[in-house]
Amino acid sequence: MDFFLSKKIVEYACLCGVLSPLTKLYFCRHCLNLRCAFCCHHEVDSHFCSNCLENIPSSEAKLRKNKCNTCFDCPSCQATLSARATSIQVPMSTKGEGGDETDEGSASNKMVTKKMYYLACLACRWTSRDVGISDQTSQTCSWPEQEYFHSTRFQLLSEHFQAVVLCDKEEKQDYLRRKTVKTSKFPSMTDRTGLTVASIRRQIGFDKSAPKAKPKPTNITPSIATSEVEDLPDEIFTKPVNLKNITTIKQRLAQPANQPETVKHLYPQHKNLSIKRSLRCRHCEHNVIKPEYNPSSIKYRIQLFASNHVPEVRFVKADPFKIGESASIILKIINPTINDMTITIMDLPTEDEEKMAIEEMRKTFDKSVSIATKSSLTPSIMRPSLIEDPRMVDCKITGKIELPDSSFVVNQRDDSAEFDDDIQGDRQDPRFIIWRKANKVEIKLNVIPCDGLKKDDDIITGFTMQFTYSNVHTSTPEKESQGLRHALNVRVYINPGKISE
Amino acid sequence: MSKNENKVKIMPRAVVCEDSNIRGDVTISSGSVVHTSAQIIAESGPIIIGENCIIEEYAKIIHRIPTNHKLYQENPEKPHVLVIGSNNIFEVGCTVEALKIGEKNIFESKSYVSPDVTISSGCVIGAGCQLFGEQHLTENTVIYGKTCQQREALDKQGSHMLQLDFLRKILPNYHHLRKPVDIKSKTTFATSTPK
Ligand SMILES: [Zn+2]
Ligand SMILES: [Zn+2]
Ligand SMILES: [Zn+2]
Ligand SMILES: [Zn+2]
Repeated sequence: MDFFLSKKIVEYACLCGVLSPLTKLYFCRHCLNLRCAFCCHHEVDSHFCSNCLENIPSSEAKLRKNKCNTCFDCPSCQATLSARATSIQVPMSTKGEGGDETDEGSASNKMVTKKMYYLACLACRWTSRDVGISDQTSQTCSWPEQEYFHSTRFQLLSEHFQAVVLCDKEEKQDYLRRKTVKTSKFPSMTDRTGLTVASIRRQIGFDKSAPKAKPKPTNITPSIATSEVEDLPDEIFTKPVNLKNITTIKQRLAQPANQPETVKHLYPQHKNLSIKRSLRCRHCEHNVIKPEYNPSSIKYRIQLFASNHVPEVRFVKADPFKIGESASIILKIINPTINDMTITIMDLPTEDEEKMAIEEMRKTFDKSVSIATKSSLTPSIMRPSLIEDPRMVDCKITGKIELPDSSFVVNQRDDSAEFDDDIQGDRQDPRFIIWRKANKVEIKLNVIPCDGLKKDDDIITGFTMQFTYSNVHTSTPEKESQGLRHALNVRVYINPGKISE
Repeated sequence: MSKNENKVKIMPRAVVCEDSNIRGDVTISSGSVVHTSAQIIAESGPIIIGENCIIEEYAKIIHRIPTNHKLYQENPEKPHVLVIGSNNIFEVGCTVEALKIGEKNIFESKSYVSPDVTISSGCVIGAGCQLFGEQHLTENTVIYGKTCQQREALDKQGSHMLQLDFLRKILPNYHHLRKPVDIKSKTTFATSTPK
């Protein structure tokens, strides 16, 4: 499905002026408008591991450096490693080692099979044995962590800078505190006498917090840059290179801490966590996409994909375009909702109209931002949402559509209707409707290429599609009183082909 | 050798499904398993498949020396025998035209190996990997990924004996099999060429 929708033949314009295929758009049912990814807040709902599906709270995810504790990625090809079991024969461990020879002989009779595990990649057949990691006794037991040459240095550095940040913060708070005291309109008695509460406390010997020294950043030896580099080994130009032993750039960057040069130092890497993301309309702060919390679920709690709400326009075919001659194109319009839709095809706004609409939008945004900051819906911490600045659609129309003379109805989607064969032929359709079945309609429109086009120039045409939308989900009473049916507009741009001659 | 002549020799204990497409002079050694709709085509000379190989569905083994190949240009008349070592696995949908194949190799699904490639032992051609151009795969080479990256495995790949045993047991229950050569009575299934 995405295959022929993602080809940029039919595109819809978001309010902000960005063109995208319908599959990449969302529909805010509170604003009743299309929203593209730029017009939504992207929020991280939860962290999880895509392999073991463990849900990890965000604070813990930060501690774990956004990596899963138990799962590993192949250092060679970045696929997920799986633990494989082998059984080995080991002598029964009854006594400690170092028994005499006869003892060993009797022990070898009592062999037990023991399961050992190693990590293997199913894609490139890399195994943990390749780099000499010994097999482990349990599948989930902690595999030996790789040690890095610079790890202590990094530890020190990070501690140092944490202290610096803390120090900065405290100084700032201190400064603010002093400043606010000075600007206070109501000087207290103690202020006039030069006695502050703190100084009194100190004098009485009451203060416990006074000796508390401010956390000073620990001193750290700064790194020194040097221009002297070790010479290359002599055989570098003479020794043949075995590329199989040298890591690729991708493999090196997958292990940023030590960036190994040879495959001998490739080491299983903890798997990166994935996130569940929810999208929020920037205009009304309502969710448009909210996935279910459970990592193993692929369902949504809120899913307002545009393809479920907005009629889909598909390009079927077009006559060859010739300069100065009108050619017909056939479009299929599909109603994805469970209500009948009345569709009217209108002209695209002219440049001036578009500019005016953008100006108007900007004004209403300013208003809505000021409201949004006050509204209780947004917590005070959340900054007022920055709304994507609307702009002109970046698409030059090179073909004009002859508008059909009437609007038409597209039937509701009915999943059971696919199994009925009877064709509803009783509806009196206008002439430009050439085919109709269930929730699909094919229309034939004429396109006149604009003047000044040459051979092989792209024809780009478009129209404003007005459709009736029944908001069945609204729960707020004020909206119900407005009536459930809305007439909405979307701008559709179509690229039906090139001028053939 | 005329191309229409089918001289299929199936050794005892080999399991060859009847619906497989085997053309030309092909010898299948004992213990090997050929699934249905596998193709083994010996055009430029005989094919000898070693012991305990698995040739899965839609796998193609083709012995066809192209006219621009070194072997053909040196001497087009000289017969060439494609000897495939033992313990090779040809997975579903692979196409192998290599003219020299060692032991314990795995050709994963949908992989392709051109006639210019020679394969030693213990190699793995990853799923979907296509090998063109004259090259020799050294032992334990693993080809993997979209860009056909190469790496060297420490060991040869694990044994597939369990799978072979299972296939030998289960295939006769569901498929008609070609009859192997009866060594005792010296009558062969296809032809009676003496060794
Ligand atoms: Zn947008
Ligand atoms: Zn995991
Ligand atoms: Zn791998
Ligand atoms: Zn909204």
